[in-house]
Amino acid sequence: MSIFAATPPATASGALARLMRSDGRRISSLGSLLLMAPFFLLMGFVFVWPIVNLLAISVLEPQPTFDNYGRVLSNPVYALVLMRTLWIAVLVTGLTLLFSYPVAYAMTRAKGPTLVLITACVLLPFWSSVLVRTAAWAVLLQRNGLVNQGLQWFGLTSEPVRLLYTQGAVVVAMTHVLMPFMILPIYGALRNISPDYMRAAAVLGASRSRAFREVMLPLSLPGVLSGSILVFLTALGFFVTPALLGSPQEMMIATLVSQQIRETLDWPFAAALVGVLTLFVSLIAVIFSKAVRFDRLMGGRE
Amino acid sequence: MKADAPRVASGANITIDGLAKRFGQVTAVDHFSVDIAAGEFLALLGPSGSGKTTVLMSIAGFEFPTEGSIRIGGEDVTYTPANRRNLGMVFQKYTLFPHLSVLDNVAFPLKMRGVSKPERHKRAEAALATVRLAGYGSRMPNQLSGGQQQRVALARAIVYHPRVLLMDEPLSALDKNLREEMQLEIKRLHSELGITVVFVTHDQAEALTMANRVAVLKDGRIQQIGPAPELYERPANLFTAGFIGEMNFLPGRLAAAGKTPSIKLDAGPEWRLPAAALIDTPSPGQSVVATVRPERVSLGSEGAAGAIPVRVQDVVYAGAAVLLIGVADCGTELRARLSGVSEVADLRPGDMAHLVVPPEAVLLYAGAAAA
Repeated sequence: MSIFAATPPATASGALARLMRSDGRRISSLGSLLLMAPFFLLMGFVFVWPIVNLLAISVLEPQPTFDNYGRVLSNPVYALVLMRTLWIAVLVTGLTLLFSYPVAYAMTRAKGPTLVLITACVLLPFWSSVLVRTAAWAVLLQRNGLVNQGLQWFGLTSEPVRLLYTQGAVVVAMTHVLMPFMILPIYGALRNISPDYMRAAAVLGASRSRAFREVMLPLSLPGVLSGSILVFLTALGFFVTPALLGSPQEMMIATLVSQQIRETLDWPFAAALVGVLTLFVSLIAVIFSKAVRFDRLMGGRE
Repeated sequence: MKADAPRVASGANITIDGLAKRFGQVTAVDHFSVDIAAGEFLALLGPSGSGKTTVLMSIAGFEFPTEGSIRIGGEDVTYTPANRRNLGMVFQKYTLFPHLSVLDNVAFPLKMRGVSKPERHKRAEAALATVRLAGYGSRMPNQLSGGQQQRVALARAIVYHPRVLLMDEPLSALDKNLREEMQLEIKRLHSELGITVVFVTHDQAEALTMANRVAVLKDGRIQQIGPAPELYERPANLFTAGFIGEMNFLPGRLAAAGKTPSIKLDAGPEWRLPAAALIDTPSPGQSVVATVRPERVSLGSEGAAGAIPVRVQDVVYAGAAVLLIGVADCGTELRARLSGVSEVADLRPGDMAHLVVPPEAVLLYAGAAAA
């Protein structure tokens, strides 16, 4: 943001001249400001303004007060929802990582048609709506769905098991829905690792698995970290999947917010919940980004 | 081999027999056989696509040959995986592990061999000292210059005392001064450790200065293998003649064979040559190519015996010598490196000049010069 931190202009016209100066290689500061303006306007209009408004409601209505936050903290039910949300987000992140790493690794090894196939399997669901993918899981997990039929066919259970509307269903579906966000950053990190590193490791006496552990895995950590942040933060505020597949007795924070707004019409309290979630997300984002920068420093990337 | 065995001041001999490598329809290496003595420094020299890297990768164990065998120290390693060959290798790009400190990079091969941490750090320190980088252990690779990184790579390749050191164009990413410094460094290490070195390069000067023997490759086959002076003074064929150093190619016809063969040059004069000038054995009337190094060509007076009249195309000042480029009547270009500046001082492009060649500087090959 050096544009804004530039030395204070002596006169308005001098400032304008400085803004418009271009050395022919880089665009002028004014040029880049103008280019960025639509994005910032849009973000301000659809993101910053509504959230500031909402957070204002949480402390200003019905009268200026912190009572709404007091309710969030004092009633253990809400703390439980928050803890559950955090736990599910952690679980989903772990599972996503577990399933995504091998896929990303396979993508770096694959060539031609195989690569196209894997990429399609990763990207096609990614491009379809979350709603569609969640609905697909609802079909699979319903009482007479494919999963229950399969379980009975294998003789694992004699009658249909309740799969839908459980926390398990939410975790499974969210893991599936969020996998592309994990696969793509890890794939990017793995693809950036020159095959020469593996050759060097081999010639220095490392077996394939040892070379993976000692060289490939540590070098792919930046990708693992950014994928984890993406998945974790997305999972924290996930709405569609918990709303459609989750148990009403085991709500997550996004569904709770929605319930407060649409059913009890308690906007100030819903806003306070959003405030708490926002605080959590920001804190975690700050901590994670410090961790990532630390890793870059260690030489993960040029 | 025990990793912490005392340093054995000898490398292993390498025997490559009938090596061939085909990728589908493409033959990268063919009929490649060479015996590399223990402690020898062999350079594989050739243009890109000549198969020199494939040979090195086969020795390293990254490529398995289609035919032939590779023995190192008497042991057949043709299909042994790279990590069990116990070879040292330095790559073109530094390939230091960016997430490990310099010391951990150098200690990496020892770690793979189960050497204890204090011991491997001690030995890594010692190896860093051998490449004159003592005290750099705690830095990260990206904090070092290119030359320093390559020296760390060298330390990492020798820290476990392999009997063979493979180098894949290790200096091509460095600038000229650093490259020359590293050449000396590698030569010094080679004589200190007595290790067998196989060095791949496309830089002929590098090959000639560093190696005991140079193998010239083209299209996957050895064109010539021998010590540097032999390659330069007596190239075995026209490819080597043109690939190593500068060379003039003068087409002509063999007029007479025998003890004092003579040729009629397209450029005019007829030369009588010593019998040793014949590399091939053409018969009279056949087309031949006479070759001569530009530094053996001198300026003669008009009418001098065997002089080739040329029209001066350019006179290039190059410090120690002046390069004269002339074109003979038949269109053949002739270059002369002349040490005396004064004798060409008044030659201008377009002037006539007469170039003389001592008969003992000429080598004769059968066939026509490749354009």
